[in-house]
Amino acid sequence: MDTQKTEQITFRVRRYDPEKGSNPHFQEFTVPSSRGLTVLDGLIYIKENLDSTIAFRTSCRMAICGSCGMLINNYPHLACHTQIEEFHSNRLTIKPLPNFPIIKDLVVDLIPFFEIHKSVKPYMLRNDSNEMENPTAEFGQSHQTLESFLQFTYCIKCGICVSACPTSASDKLFHGPQALAQCYRYCADNRDAGELERFPVVGTDHGVWHCHLAGACSESCPKGVDPALAIQLLKRRVMSRTLGLGKKEPPASTVRPSAQAKPKLPFPEFTVKQG
Amino acid sequence: MRRYTYLWLMQLVTGVLIAVLLGIHMVMQHLEDILRFFGVNLNDPASWNSMIERSRQVIWAGIYIALLAVVLYHALNGLRNVILELTPSARTERVVTWAILAFGIIIFVWASYVPIALLSR
Repeated sequence: MDTQKTEQITFRVRRYDPEKGSNPHFQEFTVPSSRGLTVLDGLIYIKENLDSTIAFRTSCRMAICGSCGMLINNYPHLACHTQIEEFHSNRLTIKPLPNFPIIKDLVVDLIPFFEIHKSVKPYMLRNDSNEMENPTAEFGQSHQTLESFLQFTYCIKCGICVSACPTSASDKLFHGPQALAQCYRYCADNRDAGELERFPVVGTDHGVWHCHLAGACSESCPKGVDPALAIQLLKRRVMSRTLGLGKKEPPASTVRPSAQAKPKLPFPEFTVKQG
Repeated sequence: MRRYTYLWLMQLVTGVLIAVLLGIHMVMQHLEDILRFFGVNLNDPASWNSMIERSRQVIWAGIYIALLAVVLYHALNGLRNVILELTPSARTERVVTWAILAFGIIIFVWASYVPIALLSR
């Protein structure tokens, strides 16, 4: 086993605390780095050993929670998903995600982002409320239908696509690639019947029609989702419904499991909350 | 929603029409040698006499008025989008939309007068 080489990496972190009224400025920290160390590991090292006042968000450390999005060497990344040695440089510049208000240092305010996400109703909308409340069976869905929107379900709401989007940078009312991609994800789902509720929200000048197809969202997404594709597909869908083209399928109905299907395993006792 | 959808659709349609109508203009006016290669002889289409002769034909007046309309729509709707992107607000949208619509109509009436006047000479 080869010995691990340790390098000294300079982290140039943008600091800003609006509550203290100071201007944004850069502060440099020297972090010992070895192979496999992520940018998030470096920031945690700074917080634990050099300056405990530095603020950044983190949670899962495995690119699932979407908390640690930040601008590293002027490109948006998840800090936990980005190894220091990827940059082949001993100097890293770390800034908060652009296109979001800054709360402190590397922490941005994601509330407006989540509000827009909520506005497209990112959940199943159906008319049969009885079946939704008291399900009797599963809704039928083919593998092909699932494939048509599966990649868009991998969105972790990290905000990196919005920070990379040039339209979000100039148009503060633009819904952004994340919300529009999620709108398409639910509209393309054959179990959903909520197009008529979502299309008036996204079919505006600051919605789906304002995407310039720069493609920065798809290029930057750390989960490999292609929001730019979703937006183009959403445009086609909105246009088809407006012009009355194409056949609109009714939402999927429930499918009884076949006789050969194995019965579902009961929930283990420890997962069921006893009243 | 329908209004924005049609605005966007018209932007696409006018883009295609510009390619066709401007293509006709470019080929007839500036690519005479290529047309001659295919056996079409226009007898110096850029000369004054050829221009006057074309201007008396309804088809050419129609092509130029249609080109004017689609270019105006495409350009002014694009300009409206740029302005609204940089200054997003409901009031700005109203003012900019009406201002651009009025500007477009004035330019269209003014500029389409030329082919119509030439046609009636």
